[in-house]
Amino acid sequence: MDLDTVKERAGPREFGPGDDMPEEYRKAATRMIQFHANSEIMGAYLEKPFIRQSPSLDRKLAFSAKTQDEIGHGQLLYRAAESLGVKTREQMLDELAAGEGKFLNCFHYPMTEWQETPMIAFFVDGAAMRRQATLKRTSWEPYAHAMDKICFEEGFHIKHGEDIMRELATGSKRGQELLQEAFEEWWPRILQFFGPTDDDSTHHDFSADVGLKRMGNDELRQAFLNAYIPKAEKYGLEIPEKPRIVEEDGTYEVIEEDLDWEEFFTVAKNEYPSGREQINGRKEAQEAVAWVRKSLDDWEHAGTAGASTQRAAD
Amino acid sequence: MAASTERNERDGRLGGPDELSEREQAAVETLCYRLADDELVLGERYTEWQVRAPTLESDLALSNIAQDEFGHARLWYDLLEDFGYTEADLIFERDPGAFRHATLVELPFEKGDWADAIVRSYLYDAAEHLRLEALENSSYPRLADRVRKVLSEERYHREHARNWLERLTAGAEGRERVQSAADRLFPHALALFEPVGESDADVDALGLRTESLDSMREQWLDTVLPFLSSLGIDAAPELCEGTDVESLLPESVGRDGSHTDAWPELHAEMTRTYRDLGRTEARRIMSDPDDAE
Repeated sequence: MDLDTVKERAGPREFGPGDDMPEEYRKAATRMIQFHANSEIMGAYLEKPFIRQSPSLDRKLAFSAKTQDEIGHGQLLYRAAESLGVKTREQMLDELAAGEGKFLNCFHYPMTEWQETPMIAFFVDGAAMRRQATLKRTSWEPYAHAMDKICFEEGFHIKHGEDIMRELATGSKRGQELLQEAFEEWWPRILQFFGPTDDDSTHHDFSADVGLKRMGNDELRQAFLNAYIPKAEKYGLEIPEKPRIVEEDGTYEVIEEDLDWEEFFTVAKNEYPSGREQINGRKEAQEAVAWVRKSLDDWEHAGTAGASTQRAAD
Repeated sequence: MAASTERNERDGRLGGPDELSEREQAAVETLCYRLADDELVLGERYTEWQVRAPTLESDLALSNIAQDEFGHARLWYDLLEDFGYTEADLIFERDPGAFRHATLVELPFEKGDWADAIVRSYLYDAAEHLRLEALENSSYPRLADRVRKVLSEERYHREHARNWLERLTAGAEGRERVQSAADRLFPHALALFEPVGESDADVDALGLRTESLDSMREQWLDTVLPFLSSLGIDAAPELCEGTDVESLLPESVGRDGSHTDAWPELHAEMTRTYRDLGRTEARRIMSDPDDAE
């Protein structure tokens, strides 16, 4: 299929493994889905310590299940990316370990305290949900299909995050103060979730033209702010003075120059120190169990060889 | 005395939580602490493998198992809550020295030691299976009622462990690692069959459990040793030489409240948020086991 035909036909769930897609499309889709899959894994990496630190057994169960869901989403998304025939899952996981795989800005920062968990599980997941809901109509069918399950589960995650936030916001004074502190630390990163204004990036946005992306970053950020600023206020959170946010007729806009874009691009290049540490932490964990993967390969090969010998003997 | 008369009238079955004599309640508590603490702490250790397992698939599988264990812990702690204890009393504000789990479940994992997780799970789940079977006809109905659900989930755990052991021991490196894990864990697995104290004798005398700890240990040895041996793993060579099982026990067994240093550290981590936030209760967010299903 040539590019013009792709652009013409670029409707929701239009293309799948049966279609002969041009390389440019396959590469762009792989890049996008791989980023998404990597983000699931690195998000899980960040949240995992809180399974242990959960202040009740039920919450522990919920946190373990959420972390497991994220790994499951990673698995689904890598499969959707593999279906484009550009990279294997092993390649993508190796790239993530090597610090070459890109992922969401928020997952480059360390998270050590319980009161920080709703920053991810409510705000970041809420922002992600905005984007993901539009991806149910992406043109690569396996990706859209993965989004059906992912969006369904993410709905529970956001409730879980909101519930933790409600507990803190309606609990002790100390809990409320800690929540506000966490919010102030995470708020600028959350605002940067959708990246800088489209001007440059949509100038020639290939992924929008071929139906991979369904909505621009600006629009998504707008929708997120309109929904989440009132939610934050509802839980008694004070929106920090900086970055400035302008409200007009119930619509919010961030003054972008108040955000640290140098930091954002350092993060995006996987060069931010804490992000680096998290990438390497995961890499070390993966290397420590490389022997198991090798054992599995040996066993599978032995099994195949054994089976063919068996057949030969028959 | 009234209660034990009732027990006879009920054909050997005990009454509900409010109808137990002091002695009966003490025995039920002993049994529930053994069950609940084992499951909680094992699940806690398993979660260390989340986002760290060898493959995404094994990550998902072990996460499931960890959550099963937490779910079971919840069932057993809930029976203790019948007697008026709260989750805070039972987990978050409890002295680590009062926990009755066997030391097998509290030991930390060395980085990358997947063989430990698998061997531990195999040794534990083989014992767990016997223990649950010995509770199916427990004289305490609240307990017997909950056993069946747990049994079906534990069956999957045993299959999971056995499949992994077969795969790991197929190669030289895996076999060596499995052997080393077995050497290290076996004494702690024996601790699973140690009594909590005198009240453990009552657990048998009152029919709460239909097999004694000694008898279960014999059956367990008859199951795990031949299986491991079929994979080329020699788990307790001393036993063949006629050494007494008791002499193989580790210094701390857990059941009597003696633990390795790893346990108070783990308990402190598990309760950190609870303490930092000045919580006084652990909130339920899921429905009560009696109302579920």
